[in-house]
Amino acid sequence: MSVHELAFPRPVKARFSVGRLIFLVLASLLVLFLSLPLVALVVRALPLGLDAWLAPATLDALQLSLITASLATLIAFGVGTPVAFLLARENFRGKKIVDTLIDLPMVLPPAVAGLALLMAFGRRGLLGATLSFFGIELPFTTAAVILAETFVAAPFYVRSAKAGFGAVDRKLEQMSELLGVSSFRTFLRVTLPLAAPLLFGGLLMTWARALGEFGATIMFAGNFPGRTQTMPLAIYSGLETNLDSALALAVFLVIVSFGILFAVRAVSPKGITLG
Amino acid sequence: MLSLYIRKTFDAFALDLHLDASTEKIIVLFGASGAGKSLTLAAIAGFLAPDAGRIALDERVLFDAERGINLIPQARRIGMVRQDLALFPHLSAADNIAYGLRGTRAAKEKRVRELLALVHLENFGARKPSELSGGQQQRVALARALAIEPSLLLLDEPFSALDLATRIELRRELKELQQRLKTSMFFVTHDLGEAALLADEMAVLDSGRVLQFDTPNEILRAPLNSRVAQIVGVKNILPATIVNANCVRIGERELDIAATNFGRGAEVFACIRAERVLLVRREGPARVHPNTLEGTLLDEESDGNDVMLKFRADGARLKPEADFDLQIDMPVYVYERLHLARERRWTISLKPNVLHLVPE
Repeated sequence: MSVHELAFPRPVKARFSVGRLIFLVLASLLVLFLSLPLVALVVRALPLGLDAWLAPATLDALQLSLITASLATLIAFGVGTPVAFLLARENFRGKKIVDTLIDLPMVLPPAVAGLALLMAFGRRGLLGATLSFFGIELPFTTAAVILAETFVAAPFYVRSAKAGFGAVDRKLEQMSELLGVSSFRTFLRVTLPLAAPLLFGGLLMTWARALGEFGATIMFAGNFPGRTQTMPLAIYSGLETNLDSALALAVFLVIVSFGILFAVRAVSPKGITLG
Repeated sequence: MLSLYIRKTFDAFALDLHLDASTEKIIVLFGASGAGKSLTLAAIAGFLAPDAGRIALDERVLFDAERGINLIPQARRIGMVRQDLALFPHLSAADNIAYGLRGTRAAKEKRVRELLALVHLENFGARKPSELSGGQQQRVALARALAIEPSLLLLDEPFSALDLATRIELRRELKELQQRLKTSMFFVTHDLGEAALLADEMAVLDSGRVLQFDTPNEILRAPLNSRVAQIVGVKNILPATIVNANCVRIGERELDIAATNFGRGAEVFACIRAERVLLVRREGPARVHPNTLEGTLLDEESDGNDVMLKFRADGARLKPEADFDLQIDMPVYVYERLHLARERRWTISLKPNVLHLVPE
């Protein structure tokens, strides 16, 4: 028996009781409810031939999704990191408002996000005339897909990164500065590595969310195969035209999403200390 | 010369610290928590800008409010070893030590090896902080701070979280290291024993002010006022009135004292260290003892090393309103030799030089 076990003996195995039975039944119900549709999906998709998985429309949607989701994640990283750092470290006027604003897209219906994006960047939107003047037309382009995904998914990264930066003790940064290292290099050598697990977890979540984005995309970017038809949109169209292809894409999304959520759990530190 | 003049006012606290100390020594800043020790260190390190004042090491001015000088931490060349969060958790011991070093890779590696040897951790360079004991972590922190050859090394209760044996060992090593390297050290602690052991010179800090600055022996022997006496552990601080140059009245008793400069009738405090009260042995050689009081030992406490006794005088009392007159401390073995558990009636003696008089 290890020292740990001596200090913290395992709980005695619970004996049977009616209360416990009810408890277990209720718990099983939810697990069942969540897994049954996924199992059904996989059962239907298993007999599909290779052509359903490798249909050109399927592959186009897959490729477009991977590219747009990755670019949206990259943008979220670029502009989200400074925001997260400021929110975690600095006090400024309107901080609470900015903080709330960043979270808003997470609870907003994506359709609202799509409509809002149209009102801002659409041809008759707030910035539409200005953009047109420079010859930029955003709606119904691949760029619009990326914007919609960024809008909806970036908050996941900012939230996680904020927690990551917040957990790095400032005393360590002060120590680095006393040792003669500049603030910027301190950020690179101390803050970033120590916050990395949560930054990385946030990026994964953002990528997964972007990959599954539907509502904002279809409203702002439309549903054009090869240009704006990402996987969720292809599934939606497939319901009417090509159910097999829709099933294949759906299974792919389920597997990727499950894998990412699982990976996030693996990289997230229990404390923040590395090594 | 380490010259500190730091004034900083907060809502509920004001730091107003004056100190001129020698360099190449261990200067101890001693005080209870809340006395302003950490603020002082933050100001020296450059993380806290004083409202007014000047911080200088010999000719090098780190901060001067009047001349608008305020060097950034990176430019101060100050080393720091803290009690908590000493090391970068994601870097090995060697990388921690190398963190502030500049130069070629080979030169850095050579210097890291020297520093690891200096703190007796030759074979631990590859370990992460979490794989080191608390004492080893503090040695790495010390090596890292020394790596940049600091003009001043700040030590913020660096050993407080360690067990007693490790603490004693590290104190000795630090003292040796300082004598060898002649690094100027500024050591902050709330542990009187640690302060007395390490300090070449010691400053007693209370409510943001330095009350006394001297060698530890001198502070322990002759605290400047009753507050310092209290802080450095004088248990008996009794209100007294000067009768004449050689006599003082404490409560209902007049006692002989070593010659004093206080004027007749002056209201003072008599400080009597609890371990310097003498118990007169009945079977001992017949001898005239000064300032004797007869009385009873009321009760006692022991921390395992020392016994703390309460003594109440018969007749004329030193503290008429209190339950007892004096606290008397002695080692446990003396307590046992004198059979104090059984023998409760004693005559005690206060030598004149044991009564240290301080103004209000």
